[in-house]
Amino acid sequence: MHIKGNAWTFGRNINTDLIFPKMWFRPTYQPGEMASHLMVGIDESFPSKISRGDIIVGGQNFGCGSSREEAAAAMKEAGIGAVVAPSFGRLFTRNCINVGLPVVTSAHIDEQVAQGDQVELDLAAGFIRVLRSGYEARLPPMAPESLKLIEDGGIANYTRRVLAQRRKAAG
Amino acid sequence: MHAISKIIARHADRESVEVGEIVNVVPDYVMLNDRGAARAADLLRQMGGEKVFNPSQVVVVFDHHYPAIRQQDSVAQKKTREWIKEQGISKFHPGEGIGHVIFPEKGYSFPGALIFGTDSHTVTNSALGCVATGMGHSDIASYLALGYNWLKVPEVVRFDLHGEFRPGVCAKDVALRIAQLYGEDAAPYLGVEFAGPLVAKLPMAERFVLCNMVIDFGAKTGYIQPDETTRRWMTQRAPNLQWLAETTDSDSDYSRVIDMNVSEIESLVAIPHDLSTVRNATELSNVRIDEAIFGTCTGGRIDDFRVAAAIMKGKKIAPHTRMMVNPGSRETFVQAMREGLIDVLVEAGATIGVPGCGPCSGCHQGMLAPAENAITNASRNFKGRFGSPEANAYVASSATVAASAIAGRIVAPSELTVRSGDSHAH
Repeated sequence: MHIKGNAWTFGRNINTDLIFPKMWFRPTYQPGEMASHLMVGIDESFPSKISRGDIIVGGQNFGCGSSREEAAAAMKEAGIGAVVAPSFGRLFTRNCINVGLPVVTSAHIDEQVAQGDQVELDLAAGFIRVLRSGYEARLPPMAPESLKLIEDGGIANYTRRVLAQRRKAAG
Repeated sequence: MHAISKIIARHADRESVEVGEIVNVVPDYVMLNDRGAARAADLLRQMGGEKVFNPSQVVVVFDHHYPAIRQQDSVAQKKTREWIKEQGISKFHPGEGIGHVIFPEKGYSFPGALIFGTDSHTVTNSALGCVATGMGHSDIASYLALGYNWLKVPEVVRFDLHGEFRPGVCAKDVALRIAQLYGEDAAPYLGVEFAGPLVAKLPMAERFVLCNMVIDFGAKTGYIQPDETTRRWMTQRAPNLQWLAETTDSDSDYSRVIDMNVSEIESLVAIPHDLSTVRNATELSNVRIDEAIFGTCTGGRIDDFRVAAAIMKGKKIAPHTRMMVNPGSRETFVQAMREGLIDVLVEAGATIGVPGCGPCSGCHQGMLAPAENAITNASRNFKGRFGSPEANAYVASSATVAASAIAGRIVAPSELTVRSGDSHAH
């Protein structure tokens, strides 16, 4: 999976309350609704500033806190190409994998990327590059099961496939 | 293997698993809260799943937005009531309290179990010696469709706790000390076990506090090796339930062991807006408190009410301060009434709300205005967590919250005891 985009940078311990504030929780969401509230706990104008394919670069422990899937789903819906940080909150990582959003761990990456930098990364080849500075790092290998789930477009597609197989087997 | 690995292996129908491996597991129970049930039912439909695979393993609670505060919530709750009927889900607890408080009370979590829930504080259950972890809505929807889910086997770090608590100090202060020393990412993706002579002496309520807080160090699950205290709890809560506690093979099953002497710990407070910025309560005496928020899945158990009532008995909450109390469960509420604890709090000036999450992400019952200061025995002080993003939330123990409500500013419980008899110090 090859991804290239412009970076938006954030600090340490950015929790999911900030990424998707609870005032925007809804039992069901209209298309585009989640994306329209992405990161508004930090910057209210963020949803209008970003373009599809942009990359979010966070500091340590990015996405910590509540299990709210909307944090990852809003990024996916906004067309974010990947989210990169030195470390992530566990539930956020899991939710990214499940919604099919590449979630990429790279030590010290927050010190290497400035706002607006073009960042290029490849999950299969296992590298990340910052084009302005020429910085390049190897990515730690992702569990093949997780990579496959991301490439398949997330757990919804996986579930649909298994259900279809079961129905076929049941005749 | 660590006991956590063994529990995962058993639920994956495997002899053994390796740390880092991803396996498909079948949990014993899955908790859906009001928000989770509405979203997961919606996502299940989108995934093409018509029937819940195993409705007898699904427990639905209404704790976040109950009683409904907006029409969208009452509409969602009505839909969920219809949905659980249609799906044959009979384990339903609307308004009976917070999922993480009622799960251990009702015997849904037990030693050796695997528990999933649509909420990050599902980890609370792991104090019983089980694996319990939060999941996203799509995760749970996929489980509802297929009857299993994927789980990565975590490394485990152990905190060996020893020493004696100073007066007024408790498990919550230990959790805050860990956040202070090791940060909010002290244990990313890890299992966190609490052990040592201090843990052996802790009642279940204090153990639930320790394990509740591991998510706020980034952990996947907590763990406490079941012992006599655990057995007593289970006998009382679920006398007919068969359960099997796992044990850890050796010290080499830990990626790290951290020794901690609790005798050195004072009453601690996490200051806005981050759990890892922690001060001694005695250093914060200039922080005026507008609202004390008492309850939640961290501090809403009967033991917390006993602690608060002991501190507040015969005293009044400071005139400029208000105190919002939400019992963690209906059972806690009833017990606190029986023991006269609710009387003590109400006579002191507290407002009692319904069992549930209350202001902590419950989006209701005590929201803060901009520039207001709150002290809470909840787990988080994130910006905007209790209302206005311009408000300030301080996280402390039940004792520190009760003492600070009386003082009208942040005090350590030991200070209030020393000064009892004095009028309010403002």
